[in-house]
Amino acid sequence: MKTRILGWVAFVAVAVMALVALFLVPADLNQGDAQRIMYPHVASAWLAYLSFGVTALAGICWLWRRDLRFDSVALSGAEIGVMFTAFAIWGGMMWGRPVWGVFWQWEDPRLTTTALLLALYAGYLLLRRLTDDPERRATRAAIVGIVAAVDIPIVHFSVEWWRGLHQTATIGSPDKILNPAAPVPFVLTLVGMVLAFTLTWTYLMIRRYQLAQADLGREESARVERIMEARAAEATR
Amino acid sequence: MTALRYEARLALAIAAKDARAEMRGRQAVVSTLFFAAVVLLLFGFALGPDRARLAEAAPGLLWLALVFAGVLAVSRLHLIETDDGALEQLALYPVPRRAIYAGKALAGLAVMAVLGLVVLGAVAVLFGTSIGSAIVPLLATLMLGVVGIAAVGTFYAGLTVRLRAREVMLPLLMLPILAPLLLGAVKATAAALAGDPFGELGAWLQLLVAFDVIMLTAGLATYGYLLEDG
Amino acid sequence: MPRTTIYVSPRSLGSHDQRPPAVVTTDLARLFAGRPALAGVSLTVEPGRAIALLGPNGAGKTTLLRILSTALRPSYGSGQVDGLDLGRDVDAIRPRIAYLSHATGLYDDLTARENLAFAATMLATPHAEVRVDRALEDVGLIGRRRDLVRTFSAGMRKRLALARILLGEASLVLLDEPMAALDDEAMSLVQQLLGAWREVGVTVLVAAHSIERLESHLDGRVIMERGLVTAVAGNGVTSHAPAPLVAGHPLTVTR
Repeated sequence: MKTRILGWVAFVAVAVMALVALFLVPADLNQGDAQRIMYPHVASAWLAYLSFGVTALAGICWLWRRDLRFDSVALSGAEIGVMFTAFAIWGGMMWGRPVWGVFWQWEDPRLTTTALLLALYAGYLLLRRLTDDPERRATRAAIVGIVAAVDIPIVHFSVEWWRGLHQTATIGSPDKILNPAAPVPFVLTLVGMVLAFTLTWTYLMIRRYQLAQADLGREESARVERIMEARAAEATR
Repeated sequence: MTALRYEARLALAIAAKDARAEMRGRQAVVSTLFFAAVVLLLFGFALGPDRARLAEAAPGLLWLALVFAGVLAVSRLHLIETDDGALEQLALYPVPRRAIYAGKALAGLAVMAVLGLVVLGAVAVLFGTSIGSAIVPLLATLMLGVVGIAAVGTFYAGLTVRLRAREVMLPLLMLPILAPLLLGAVKATAAALAGDPFGELGAWLQLLVAFDVIMLTAGLATYGYLLEDG
Repeated sequence: MPRTTIYVSPRSLGSHDQRPPAVVTTDLARLFAGRPALAGVSLTVEPGRAIALLGPNGAGKTTLLRILSTALRPSYGSGQVDGLDLGRDVDAIRPRIAYLSHATGLYDDLTARENLAFAATMLATPHAEVRVDRALEDVGLIGRRRDLVRTFSAGMRKRLALARILLGEASLVLLDEPMAALDDEAMSLVQQLLGAWREVGVTVLVAAHSIERLESHLDGRVIMERGLVTAVAGNGVTSHAPAPLVAGHPLTVTR
């Protein structure tokens, strides 16, 4: 029940912020209307990374506590995370085309790191599909999730170095908004968008988790039933 | 014997066992070398014949060849353990898991080091890069790079050896992780070859060291979980 | 030709009364892809005994042995080896167990002696070189010590795997169908081994289809079928039926 309310609140929040971002907040002086996509783009990117962090952390908890609920959290984080990652990349490309002139800019650390994040997610999810046993699957996934999460900061750092050392001018990065001198309406819109998206993310995570638990529960009942059948068959011989 | 000495002995025994088995049986080093050579040749066909362009691309091609050949090499080292259930037996010995990882990574490193030297020579010949005075930084970069490939590769090879579709899962999982290593190694190699005009060589080498340390630690800490059979 | 006396390293296991049961399992169950290979096995094995696990293929013998060897985790239920828990104390259990599975775990491209030398290092066998050669003699493979295992027959591999067990100091030996693919000469080897282990107080669990040649060396028998224990006979082993159904929660899930 509470989740449903959360869902509606999130929906309304996103709708409101979309309107604000599209119509209310002024366009950027240099980049024009193209800059508006930056709001959902940055918000998605934030959630993409948050999701991965959650997945990795949940993996650690599984290894520590051996409670399959943690694995359900990890799975939810990965699936929801993939969505936001894909959207963030798409947003980045859409924003890049009018501003940079190209869809892709190798030296933008955020874009390249996020693309790699997508590859890591894909590997994680594929790996999960290849194992049937729930505990083996959880363990393998946790390991992969942890190593991948450790890799992300290294990637980001190295790409920044890449950019820095080559000193090519990267015109207008989305980060301009995040500095303290940025105009207030921009910052407020961004914050609002991030909050709205985070609400959506929370709602989706809860729902996906519930689904995952339901799946586990069903699997569990089936297993218990098989065992009972085997015993009953033996008892009647 | 202290615990560390004991574990080091175990790791060396495992590495020696891998080396011996490979030398005798599967000719892994030789076939991986040929694979790397073929990859380089194909690069030549794809990007040549302009020597200047090839020379410029040489550092990247060197490391791409090493990374791809590296996937094969680590995969083969874990395939030894599919001999009649050897991996399960290995997991049953009362030895710390990280010693097993260390041993296998060491064996992987040995293979990669040989691979690296040969590929470096091949690249110098095929793509006309003059090594000359850059030999020391080049070797340093080579060593740091192959340590990273061995560390990451051994870990993922252990993960995928019992998996369905392992031939595709190993590179799929391993290669994205190696992205920063690839970047650092290529940049360091290019800088070394050019005589380090911007003074960036040190920074890239630091990146490689950091990567190696982090990944080795991760491998040592988590390899044990891979050996569990659910 | 196997020797008349096999060297089994002495171990200080304590007298029978002082030792905890070698094996205790409670409602042990294991499923593979939804199918129960074990459906609730509760056994208690006294220390120092030699027990046979009998039953047709698919009875769950191999699965049970694998769980006891720590190679496999159970899906449900719990187990103890020498009083140590299979879930929590795996690292402490490992040095006490020796396991001969269907697969021998030998490296094809190493010689017999190299395989054993490697095992000796892993097992921290004292006086490794001497022990390796002695083990090879004891199983009758000393003449083939420099040959690659790749050239060995199935029976010879089994014997080499048994030699590996001799290098360790296990208090519980698990043999999965050791008699399969063995020739006559090697059959007597297994009989000798059982005798040698009994003298030292090692507990042995042998899974087999039938036990004709080993009868006199065994204390007790467990009959299994379809993942459950159907009968128990002889000394040293007892079993009880799976826990009764309780409304709402038919199974106690212990992971």
